[in-house]
Amino acid sequence: MLRRAVLQTFRQGLAQSFFKRYAVSLTETTVTHQPIETSNEAGERSVPTQKTGDESRNTVVVAPPEFRFMYPEFLPDPAMETRNRLREKLERMDMLQRRSVIEIPEFYTGSIMAVTVADANSPNKFARFVGICIQRGGSGLRAWFILRNVVDKQGVEILYEMYCPLIQKIEVLRLERRLDESLLYLRDALPEYSTFPLDMEPERRLNNSVVPINPLKVKLRPRPWLERWERQNLQGVEDLNLPQRFYDKAEKVAKPWEKYDLMLHYRKTIPAEEQEKIFAEVHSQLQQQELKRKLRRRRGPDNEQ
Amino acid sequence: MVFHKRRWLVRRLFFNHEQIRTMSRVKRRTTHPPYWHVLKNNQRDDEKISSDNLCFVREVIQDKYKNKSPIKGSDLDIEKTVWDPKTKRSGVIARNIGVQHMWEKDGKKVICTVLHVLDNHVVRYVPPEEYAKSVIGTKMFKNRKPLGCLVVGAEAANPDRFTRQYCSLFDEVGLLPKKRLARFIVTPNAALPPCTPLTAGHFVIGQAVDVYGKTIDYGFQGVVKRWGFKGGPASHGATKFHRRGGTIGTGRDKARVWPGQKMPGHMGSERRFNRGLKIVRINMKYNIIYVKGTVPGPTNSIVQIFDTILPRRRFTEAPPHPTYFPPEDGTLPQEDIWDSSLHVFGSPSISV
Repeated sequence: MLRRAVLQTFRQGLAQSFFKRYAVSLTETTVTHQPIETSNEAGERSVPTQKTGDESRNTVVVAPPEFRFMYPEFLPDPAMETRNRLREKLERMDMLQRRSVIEIPEFYTGSIMAVTVADANSPNKFARFVGICIQRGGSGLRAWFILRNVVDKQGVEILYEMYCPLIQKIEVLRLERRLDESLLYLRDALPEYSTFPLDMEPERRLNNSVVPINPLKVKLRPRPWLERWERQNLQGVEDLNLPQRFYDKAEKVAKPWEKYDLMLHYRKTIPAEEQEKIFAEVHSQLQQQELKRKLRRRRGPDNEQ
Repeated sequence: MVFHKRRWLVRRLFFNHEQIRTMSRVKRRTTHPPYWHVLKNNQRDDEKISSDNLCFVREVIQDKYKNKSPIKGSDLDIEKTVWDPKTKRSGVIARNIGVQHMWEKDGKKVICTVLHVLDNHVVRYVPPEEYAKSVIGTKMFKNRKPLGCLVVGAEAANPDRFTRQYCSLFDEVGLLPKKRLARFIVTPNAALPPCTPLTAGHFVIGQAVDVYGKTIDYGFQGVVKRWGFKGGPASHGATKFHRRGGTIGTGRDKARVWPGQKMPGHMGSERRFNRGLKIVRINMKYNIIYVKGTVPGPTNSIVQIFDTILPRRRFTEAPPHPTYFPPEDGTLPQEDIWDSSLHVFGSPSISV
């Protein structure tokens, strides 16, 4: 019964939509007690594939749990109105293609990075910018990050799209994290906290397994500020020294119940089971790309000799 | 100076309300299908059926639809019809699965809509003479030469959920009942026999297509969102007048509210065509078309894709006519076809 159910015909494409959904329930009602794995629905609806009868011997690939922090752009936008598994899968394939051409390293908010972009208006056609990553966002091919630096006493921020083909090189000069996920308060901080030399050399990490957290507390300039920092629960800022009325109003306006709102957090995140599936799909390719790069780096100085 | 003032007055006095009045009487949406449709969805709920009988019913369905041999292009008797520039080919039913950003070869970002061509099969062909006698046919071909009609279905589903009358539409052809049906007006030389599959290969890279869909349903909306009115001032003493319409008539001209006056009401869920969208990428393995621009409707809604009617973007060379069939010698087509203007993701970075 199971074998007949698994036979596919090209004629009506009924295999994918009909048998996938009902073969499982059919076998539930029959006497056979074989364990059946429901096939991964992600993107395989319209593809007529040859299924073997033996589906229960699949080895399960699990990516390390750090992947959701190292590669957050592989997770889709949680808004349910725009989610579609097939499109997300195709987008991930395109992202991996791009990553095979250029190395997009692991970085976090607070890391100091250098980005080289193809620029028609530059004298040597390439523009290199060094800065601290103050924010990152977007999902899929739309992923972006903002680098900030102070050049000639002028604060400069540039938003880079991670998968834009104009980007030639992304280097992480110092890999570290800060106490906050968003460092937008650097705009109101003293300029020395955002200044980094443009010819900065990449720093070597002593301990490769753990990304250090820089517990720096930043000093802000006197008010007026761009945002009401006292309302934002910032860890990486020194004591703001504001009059008490600011803190009173912040308490009035605060929403302390949000941390207990389970549905709010559920809607804002991708469930753990889905995350595992996504990273399992992407894990092996990313590993292969890492290995190739390491080999190339090792061969590089050898070849020069 | 006086001459200009008079022209302005004239324009205000003789404001053309005709067009707005006629369009305001057109019924734009219904919640029910047309009267000639058969009842589609199964009305029985929770029929008390034993598990053995349920199992038997499923076996019957399986046996009815399973043992069909796969068809190739040559088995169907399509006469080798010739394409000419006046041919109207069939369209395709697809699902709008979202939007993906791609980049052109000069680094410019483009927004591309991803359309997933569902499992389309031709259900029926109605020749021009017969179609011209139908209700819609008489209206459409009143002073025109009649054309044929291809009924195409997409998304096969379990016959259990549909009524017998609906399943009978597909029984003559031996197809599993489809969730969506659409009619495509075709010239007789582009007719297709029943059970012909339509895939993403039906289209050509770089061609322009028209996409029909129903726009996003916004529900009952106010005048600011629906018609783009400016509303009133947010402060400066405005009493309860921030998002209202304001005046609805002059008092002098006809002394009543004209039909078609813009007011709050239901917005969205309307038929719209986005014309002349360029196909920039086709994925033959997953039946996906990437189209430059956006299409009407929300994500995961069903749309119909046609060859464009815009005169300057029509076909100059013959497309796959009447539709695409995979090559008979079994060679697989190229999986991912890109337009020449797009930057392929696996290729080296762009240097300007």
